[in-house]
Amino acid sequence: MIQKMVRFFIWGVASRKRAVIDLLHTMGVLHADDEDRDYGETLSDLKRLKFLSATVQGMVEVLEWRSWDEVSEERLQWAHQWISSFDEEILGDLEESLEAFRERLQGLVQEKKSLQETLRILRSSHRDVTHFSSFFEEEQKRGNRVSLWWVPAGIYGRILQEVRVVLRKFTPVKERVSLRYHSVKTGHDDLLVSFSIPPLAQNSLEKLFEEENVVAWRPPPAFTKFTHHESVAAIESGLHWVPKRLQEIEEELERTKKNWGPKLGAVLMLIEDRVEALQMENRALSQGEMFSLFGWIPQDQAKAVEDGLRENFGSQIFVEWRKPLGGELLQVPTSLKNPKIFDPFHLFLKLLSLPPYTGIDPTIMIGIFFPLFSGCMVGDAGYGLLIGGIGFFLYRSKKSEILRMVGMIFFHLAFWSILWGFAYGEFFGDVGLRLFNIHPLWLERSHVVLPVMVFSIILGLAHVGLGLILGVFEGLRHKNRHLWMERLGMLGIIIGLLLLGAGLYEILPPHAGIAVLVSGLVCVIFGGGLGGMIETLSAIGNILSYVRIAAIGLSSAILAMVASTFVDVLGASVFGLLLAVLLHLLNIVLAFAGSGLHAARLHYVEFLGKFYSGQGRPYVPFAKRRSASWKKH
Amino acid sequence: MEKALIAFAAALAVGLPAIATAYAQAKIGSAGAGTVAEKPETAGTMIILEAIPETMVILGFVVAIMLILRFA
Repeated sequence: MIQKMVRFFIWGVASRKRAVIDLLHTMGVLHADDEDRDYGETLSDLKRLKFLSATVQGMVEVLEWRSWDEVSEERLQWAHQWISSFDEEILGDLEESLEAFRERLQGLVQEKKSLQETLRILRSSHRDVTHFSSFFEEEQKRGNRVSLWWVPAGIYGRILQEVRVVLRKFTPVKERVSLRYHSVKTGHDDLLVSFSIPPLAQNSLEKLFEEENVVAWRPPPAFTKFTHHESVAAIESGLHWVPKRLQEIEEELERTKKNWGPKLGAVLMLIEDRVEALQMENRALSQGEMFSLFGWIPQDQAKAVEDGLRENFGSQIFVEWRKPLGGELLQVPTSLKNPKIFDPFHLFLKLLSLPPYTGIDPTIMIGIFFPLFSGCMVGDAGYGLLIGGIGFFLYRSKKSEILRMVGMIFFHLAFWSILWGFAYGEFFGDVGLRLFNIHPLWLERSHVVLPVMVFSIILGLAHVGLGLILGVFEGLRHKNRHLWMERLGMLGIIIGLLLLGAGLYEILPPHAGIAVLVSGLVCVIFGGGLGGMIETLSAIGNILSYVRIAAIGLSSAILAMVASTFVDVLGASVFGLLLAVLLHLLNIVLAFAGSGLHAARLHYVEFLGKFYSGQGRPYVPFAKRRSASWKKH
Repeated sequence: MEKALIAFAAALAVGLPAIATAYAQAKIGSAGAGTVAEKPETAGTMIILEAIPETMVILGFVVAIMLILRFA
């Protein structure tokens, strides 16, 4: 149901403006008019607070803290005591403290990042040098100079030839030995090569590599020592202390997150509350010594808000409220309020925009028909019990309100599945019949298909017919001749066709059907023209589309029976039972997903399309933020 | 022979719309995946859109059942 709203007016003395707005903020029911106003005198305050809010949000992000549920009332009270008001002195202190905290946090995070990078480089360097350790040791014992170089893979062969030429220059013919080197491929383009040459040839080698743009391997800057061995030792020492320091920083960040996350969350909420209150102050129109504030309030709360304001401010304010006038109806925000049992079904409207204030809220109708159709498709008492179990598990979940609502929807689905299960005599297929002698109260759908199909088309007729009646009602209410005539004509044609069918079986005289059909055609042509005729054909198709209820149900029933057949064929063996259970599980998933999806589609495409128009403005009350609602922002 | 023809007709009644449905769902699915990547909030709508072509195969299934019930 769409809640009745009233237009609420407040006039008061300017000196009490902030107090009035604070009280309205606490009450949390006023939806103020959306008007772009110049932020005027409080612009600088707003800017400062928004900057502060962004700073705290940044810190919360850096700490990777997301446990908004931990922001309890006590934490908010603590924040409120710490920031008793947002005057100049406290705001200054707050900015200073937060800046100091931010700097400390930033320092830790920077150090962590830098150490992680150092550790990555150290590991890579260590891997490189340890690969060449034995080669280094062996060659140094021979009295050679050993060095490491990054050689591009494309010139590797040529470089080896040129190094051999250098080597020949510095070794007498009789003592000439082959070039000693060791290489490892480090990527697609480079090789790390260690060359061992006589000390006298070192300068020539370096000169050659300089000309060829071959770069020497170096340890990370902070770990570069005088000799290769010392550098390796420094790298190994780094591999010991860097992870240790990283762990210390991570522990410190974790402690800060645990201690300060909820506190920062509470401070952030308080600042955001203040920002919203300041924005509201700017929406209130100031006229000399007076201010005025207008908005919308649910009718059933208007009296309480009026009494609360009068009690607190007496003659300093003047309050008035009235029902919305004709010209204002498009501006009224929409707030849905339904009986608790049907309330979760408003989730279905999340895929559409809200109905307008003067529109129809289909939540209750979805709450009745969705589980009825889904349950008819599942149609198995055993599956229904399982769905109920999953619903109970979700309903008890404290993680999210949406999960609780989904759990409630599951209960509805479970109820109807069990009911239809007894109608069809199905309990995990024919297990109920075999073990508990459960017989169908209506019929066995896997054997008698036609009546279930006819029944599902009758369901479609009723559902689409209801949609068309609501469309006529909407058209009349909004004085939209095209809409109501077209919908009435479609209804007339469908009823006319039914009466004609009854005439063919001589249940009714055929004239009645012809008369209704012709009247319907006239209405459709006057209301919607050619487009109306096409719409009518599509409405007939929509009704036939409900046959899916029987079709999906039949496939589910046959699969369940096949599962039991495994036990018949393979006997009550472990293998037979396992196959039967697995097939039942698959069937539950298919029946559950298929029934939910198709029942939802029948609502969105076949039903809502006949009358629903979603152009509503959401009702957003001016209320203080709390953990549950904060996460959505 | 007659029974075989009826079974073949029923198979065609389901099979051909199934191919059409699969083709349509493939097109909708790929477009839907792109849309959801850009706007995750459209996921629910895309799932519903994905189910729309299934009407064809469901009606084909009904025709097949009618064929079997009437002639077999």
